[in-house]
Amino acid sequence: MELMKKFIIFKQGVLEELPLQLGVFPFGIIYGIMAIESGLTPTQAFLMSSIIFGGASQIAFVQLISSATPLGVIVTTVSAINSRHFLYSISMMEYLKNLSLKWRIILSYLLTDEAYAVSIRRFINDPSTSSLHFHLLGTGITLFLSWQISTLVGVLLGGDLPQFLDLQFIIPLTFIAIIVPMIKSISTFLVVIASAFSGLILKSLDINFWIVISGMIGVVIGLSSSKLEKKR
Amino acid sequence: MIWSGIIICGVITFLIRFIPMSGIISKKLSASTKNSFKYIPLAVLTPIIINDLSIIQNNNLFFIENYKLYAGLIAIIVSFITNNILATISVGMASYLFMSNFINI
Repeated sequence: MELMKKFIIFKQGVLEELPLQLGVFPFGIIYGIMAIESGLTPTQAFLMSSIIFGGASQIAFVQLISSATPLGVIVTTVSAINSRHFLYSISMMEYLKNLSLKWRIILSYLLTDEAYAVSIRRFINDPSTSSLHFHLLGTGITLFLSWQISTLVGVLLGGDLPQFLDLQFIIPLTFIAIIVPMIKSISTFLVVIASAFSGLILKSLDINFWIVISGMIGVVIGLSSSKLEKKR
Repeated sequence: MIWSGIIICGVITFLIRFIPMSGIISKKLSASTKNSFKYIPLAVLTPIIINDLSIIQNNNLFFIENYKLYAGLIAIIVSFITNNILATISVGMASYLFMSNFINI
């Protein structure tokens, strides 16, 4: 009986996560193609999807590798992009604190944007249900499988596409599609403007770590403007 | 270097997700720390976009005949209106291919 209940919760997670794959699957294919275009071997491109398992950060990784960026900058950039998962984990802790270490390791690995977005809604709306972690397991495994399969499709397509398509340009377009919906306030708008302008200046001055420094400037501007917004 | 990069990034990404759930740190973070996490993806991805739109070439600004910049601006408008990743990428890519293959500004 208990096993059946866990299976039902797991299945609910899978079914609720499935519609999001309409957006995830093409994104995974794009990543696979870009990774091959950027010079990664098929093995590196495919395994990165299970070792890092973070869409935007993987695309940033292959973009930076293709422009011969130092390893330190790549690691800092990937970490910065994935840093939001820290907050997801904090908000999940409340519901998962009684689980064994083994469970917390598995669920941490599966904690991505799309899995979090679906499961946290269930956790908040229905906190008294036992075995809620099976919901996150369902959303996480669905996303994991979708990401691995779509990466593989992209990797297989990667080398066979005509050069005139200039597919590298998909990378900034993907990032535009990610960040524009995140601009919801004056402070987020100012973050974009500040990091864009400081990026332009620092890049033209050939300064190392210009991405990281302009990112930090953007965050400082964002925090300052959000304080000013609250004071009003 | 690629393999070491992948492994280091994988370990750090896992730790970012695991450390709060492990219970090692206090759950209560200051409001400004939480705010900064909200801004980081925006602040880091924006300079990468600037780089990829080739606005800076040979340490100079490059606007005229920069089809990537124009296509990027079109993609921003499409993303703002539709809030859809596929639509943004498709229209942006189609605009860029059209301009770079058929237009001479």
